[in-house]
Amino acid sequence: MRINSNLFAKSLRNLLKSAFVVLSFSCAGFAHAELNVFACEPEYAALAKELAPNAEIYTATTALQDPHQVQARPSLIAKMRQADLVVCAGADLEIGWLPMLQMKSANANVRSTDKGLFFAADQIDTLDKIDNVDRSMGDVHAKGNPHIHFDPVRFLNVAKALSAKMVQLDPSSAETYQQSLADFTQKWEAAIPRWQEQAQGLKGKKVIAYHTSFRYLFNFLGIEQVADLEPKPGLAPTSAHLAMLLSRAEQGDILAVIVASYQDERGAKWLGEKANLPVLTLPMSVGGNDASPDLFSLYDSVIALLNGVK
Amino acid sequence: MTVVNNRISLVALACAFVSPTLLAEDSSLTNPSISAVLNGYYQTGERPLAESPDGFGLGETELAISANIDDMFYGKVTGVVEIHDGETELNLEEAFIQTLAMPAGFSMRGGRFLSDIGYLNNQHLHTDAFTDRPIAYRAFLGGHYFDDGVRLNYVAPTDLYWTLGLEAFKGDSLRAADIDADREVKNVGVYTFYTKIGGDIGDNSSWQAGLSYLRNENGQLSAHEDHEDETVEEHAHDHSHAASYTGKNTYGADFVYKWAPNGNYKYQNLTLSGEYFRVSDFVPSELALEDAPSKDYHQGWYLSSVYQFTPNWSAGLRYGQVDTQELHDEHFDAQKLKEAEFSLAWHSSHFSTVRFQYTRQEGKNFDGIEDDNIFTVQYIMSLGAHGAHQF
Repeated sequence: MRINSNLFAKSLRNLLKSAFVVLSFSCAGFAHAELNVFACEPEYAALAKELAPNAEIYTATTALQDPHQVQARPSLIAKMRQADLVVCAGADLEIGWLPMLQMKSANANVRSTDKGLFFAADQIDTLDKIDNVDRSMGDVHAKGNPHIHFDPVRFLNVAKALSAKMVQLDPSSAETYQQSLADFTQKWEAAIPRWQEQAQGLKGKKVIAYHTSFRYLFNFLGIEQVADLEPKPGLAPTSAHLAMLLSRAEQGDILAVIVASYQDERGAKWLGEKANLPVLTLPMSVGGNDASPDLFSLYDSVIALLNGVK
Repeated sequence: MTVVNNRISLVALACAFVSPTLLAEDSSLTNPSISAVLNGYYQTGERPLAESPDGFGLGETELAISANIDDMFYGKVTGVVEIHDGETELNLEEAFIQTLAMPAGFSMRGGRFLSDIGYLNNQHLHTDAFTDRPIAYRAFLGGHYFDDGVRLNYVAPTDLYWTLGLEAFKGDSLRAADIDADREVKNVGVYTFYTKIGGDIGDNSSWQAGLSYLRNENGQLSAHEDHEDETVEEHAHDHSHAASYTGKNTYGADFVYKWAPNGNYKYQNLTLSGEYFRVSDFVPSELALEDAPSKDYHQGWYLSSVYQFTPNWSAGLRYGQVDTQELHDEHFDAQKLKEAEFSLAWHSSHFSTVRFQYTRQEGKNFDGIEDDNIFTVQYIMSLGAHGAHQF
């Protein structure tokens, strides 16, 4: 009997303790109720963290997930319901799941770009805009390539606009956001020439890559993507298409076959073996490999990996 | 045949709107999202309570238009063309408005729309991994339950997804058969309540579970004479979306679990889902005690597993059954149908599916259906700005 009551007292104590922990956590949440940010991709979560260090930031996808094909799953609805700011790449990258989340989460604050919705692609001039789109062309984006985070100059413009959006939504912390933006801008502008120098030897190199995921990176570093593992955007590599790529590769001018961290390596490996080319998996975003925990190290890692095959 | 003309004109109409500017601009009232779904099949047998007869046929051909109406409202119209016995029918499956700017996680929907009870019901038929809805849906909800009414929905501000909803509907398609037409019917026949919770388990999997209750004021049978012949005939020609087995109270439970390596759905993913329905209070109140059925409820359930093993191929297994009590004259007969199904689908892209399906059905007195093996070949293709699909 005594043992039982002791046990009971102990578990009651534990219960109270955990209740207290939960309570203090939620109180802490309210006390620091800065911005609640929902980022569609990890690069925008990382950017939000640079610009609003106190914000609560949730990332809907990881660098190992294809952002074109995300499920509008219950956890995302729940997170968007609580968001003050939703930050996405835009240019229709999230067209397959964002509208469903907006509808289901019933959060009027993040429905329109006038309020708490932010599209990075709206802030800059995207590459590869297409006037005439038809589904037989595959999964193309008429609004241009949305994978803009590997263009450091464009990305800095996105950062400025995002910081302004944060000020608009939370004017009481305007100074903090402006200071963070100034710090980030300074670090970023110092990094750009460093990256350019590190990647000096990559200029003019030719690669075969999967999708146009690294369009902006190649543009920045002066690398030329001469062929795509996808026969059409969004479609998986076919054997006929790979055979064609093999004959292209046999011209002997290709540096490497490149895939992003969320893409299937099988086609690339086949081509790499047949054509005796190195296959390189680059992190698509922050967290895509161990060496890229933030935006700066992401660029460092990608350039180091590319330099490694030179 | 009118069939062909209809199909072509649908394509033409959709293409006329869709072509160049489709993805170029966001949908608005001058440039709404327009989509069409084309669906055709060949089937070697007839399935009980299904809408598709054997041989060549067209499934539901769908044309949908949607857009934000202003900053407060979203609207959608879905027209469905169906062909039954050589007749072309045009039906409205959805015509609703939904609020966009209600505060505190509330939203309302009004008009004609799919009820949010259960897991499958709010999803469009063309997103299914099998050619027909499970038998429990066909028996108790008329395949998929859409109706004229209103919904109030609430999403809680919690990290665990939690939603609650109330709906009220006209309920015509869920009315109990009333051949004598002497029963008093209520104008608002159906009320539903549902709740769903869901979340993630690590990066690889997500889940959702739901409970629902459907109150059907006009769902209880009334006893009458000369019932037998008429019901049989009614079933044979029943191509409305009416449910065949109704009751005053319907209870439902559902779950879905999805898995993909690293949460990356593109190359591989697995979906497990299941639902259970129990329909009670269908026995006519004036029925003599000795005529009461051995079981005073209908029930049905299914379990389904769909594995997409490459971007282009997916395979599914589903098992489902219903136990119902059918009124014949003054007494009830127990019926049972079991269905085991295998489907294999090829997806050339996100927007096109060609499916092969094998169904083994075993019935005990079920609407006169004998045990049967049915093979189906089906295509489902969507064109235009297709809305995102639900979890």
